[in-house]
Amino acid sequence: MSAKERILQALQSDTPPAEPWQSRVETFAPDDLLTSFTTAWEGAGGEVLWLGEASKEAIALALGATTKKVVDTRHEKIDEIAPEGLWAIVEGVFGVAENGAVWIEPKERYPRALLTLAEHVVVVLEKRRLVPTMAQAYRKVDFSTLSYGLFLAGPSKTADIEQSLVIGAHGALKCTAVLV
Amino acid sequence: MSGAHNHARAAEAFTADSKRAHWHDKALWFVRQKRDKAVASVPEWEALRAEAEALKAHTRAHLGYYLRLFEERAKANGIEVYWAEDAEAHNQIVHRLLQEHGARRVVKSKSMLTEECGLNPYLQARGIEVVDTDLGERIVQLASQHPSHIVLPAIHLKKEDVARIFAKHLGTAPENHDPAYLTRAAREHLRQKFLEADAAITGVNFALAEEGAVTVCTNEGNADLGTALPNLHIACMGLEKVVPSAEALGVLTRLLARSATGQAITTYTSHFRRPKPGGRLCVVIVDNGRSGLLKEEFAQATACLRCGACMNTCPVYRRSGGHSYGYVVPGPIGSVLASARDTARYGSLAFACTLCASCDTVCPAKIDLHELLLKSRRRVIEQKPFHAKRTGLRMAAFVLRRPRLYRFLTALWRRLEGVVPKRWLYHPKNAWGRERQMPKIAQTPFRARYAKRRRA
Repeated sequence: MSAKERILQALQSDTPPAEPWQSRVETFAPDDLLTSFTTAWEGAGGEVLWLGEASKEAIALALGATTKKVVDTRHEKIDEIAPEGLWAIVEGVFGVAENGAVWIEPKERYPRALLTLAEHVVVVLEKRRLVPTMAQAYRKVDFSTLSYGLFLAGPSKTADIEQSLVIGAHGALKCTAVLV
Repeated sequence: MSGAHNHARAAEAFTADSKRAHWHDKALWFVRQKRDKAVASVPEWEALRAEAEALKAHTRAHLGYYLRLFEERAKANGIEVYWAEDAEAHNQIVHRLLQEHGARRVVKSKSMLTEECGLNPYLQARGIEVVDTDLGERIVQLASQHPSHIVLPAIHLKKEDVARIFAKHLGTAPENHDPAYLTRAAREHLRQKFLEADAAITGVNFALAEEGAVTVCTNEGNADLGTALPNLHIACMGLEKVVPSAEALGVLTRLLARSATGQAITTYTSHFRRPKPGGRLCVVIVDNGRSGLLKEEFAQATACLRCGACMNTCPVYRRSGGHSYGYVVPGPIGSVLASARDTARYGSLAFACTLCASCDTVCPAKIDLHELLLKSRRRVIEQKPFHAKRTGLRMAAFVLRRPRLYRFLTALWRRLEGVVPKRWLYHPKNAWGRERQMPKIAQTPFRARYAKRRRA
């Protein structure tokens, strides 16, 4: 008998449930999804930028960068990670009002590493694409096509030294949500 | 009590430095307060906790089914699944996978399971460099220590300690203990390790059966960066980490970070459903005593989300430090797990508890921690090393059941109290008297005074 079978035999809980498990918690939506989202995003150390039009040029201009160091994954296909100091514009599929998290899926358009190696991650999010809580968020993710995806809530951070918050642990030093 | 761990004895070094112990206490209470603030912003908080409890009970009842489903779906997604009955098997599997891959340098993100299995020393003994990439874990790794907290591994160290450790290993300025400076130095040092790594090892916060995917939560992004570069990702999980589906995360991710650090969510909540192009994603499912635990009265302890809230609130943990528990998971949940695993060895942990039940009220999965600790005590008291305590209580019961004997003995003590030398009274055998002063006996007993008042 394999290790697997021995473990499962010890567990003795092979019967499937009568019906799939479903959460029955009633969720309370924040009064104003947009305000709740931006408050949470900024609270997590991220910046918010309001733009009417989110072209690469407009974003670079607003952030005071040259377009050279900015890579726009919405339109450019990236196979290799460029040198240090790179800024990356990525598409945010939808946002979560209660905690400022944004669902991001690199798909085949850019390498997974871009999201952590880029010095500055710029997430473009349509402000009408907000859900109240994680309960609605997980029902929105399409797992059937997913390879790797994440909820990102601001720049990477740590408080491992005496509980002092430091922005920029391993991932992005800066994180901006561009709301359009 | 040879071989047995003694919590009170182990805490002595920590409590001897009362200034530091006080600081530790305050630092953790601060985290507890942040948790309270985050919790207050969610009106349905208590309903969420109840749902998490029900969800975990449901999963336990069908655990075998969900594990099979997880394996089937994960394999269909191109994930390799391995099963390990114990720590040794786990370490062997991980080592074999690394060997197949020719990996010499490994980056690891936080995983209490690999700590439990002693994976680092196992791999290091076989010539593989393992670098813990969580900042707190890297600090304790460089200091040749173990994490003292499951979420805040270096909470027992002050920034001056970190400055000393980094000065020695990373060449930072020894007198500069600014957390931002030290964090930046660690970032540079670890960035190099990330770029050189041949393989990445991560823990697993949740394994989604329906979707055949694993979820890893971090604030630093170390799991995402670590797994994004090399072509081999090994994810190690205890078998209790499986949940029915992503639907469950709609409950659990709302509870986890708020309970842990008071954040609304961790910065990175990442889902791995397929290996990256050209890479391998291997999941190792570990039992290591869990199936046994599930059959016992401690089954509920497997509902733990590893948020650490019970530690932050525990008056004993805050004042004794995580290392005093001598087990991979400290605090209330650690005491339950350790004493269930090896009662003879970890029995004293069941008594490192005031039964205040503060842990019960903060636990996001509503584990009845203080009830479980009481059960542990009952079990412990049956064990030999604790017979002395039991005998003492029996003697007390014997006397208290016999009023005349009690009167005689108290009268005797009234005469002897002033005569018995202190060194007899506070003899090392009298554990009770080590931190306490014996109360003075009243010269007139209560009974006599009561009788006098009634007469008056």
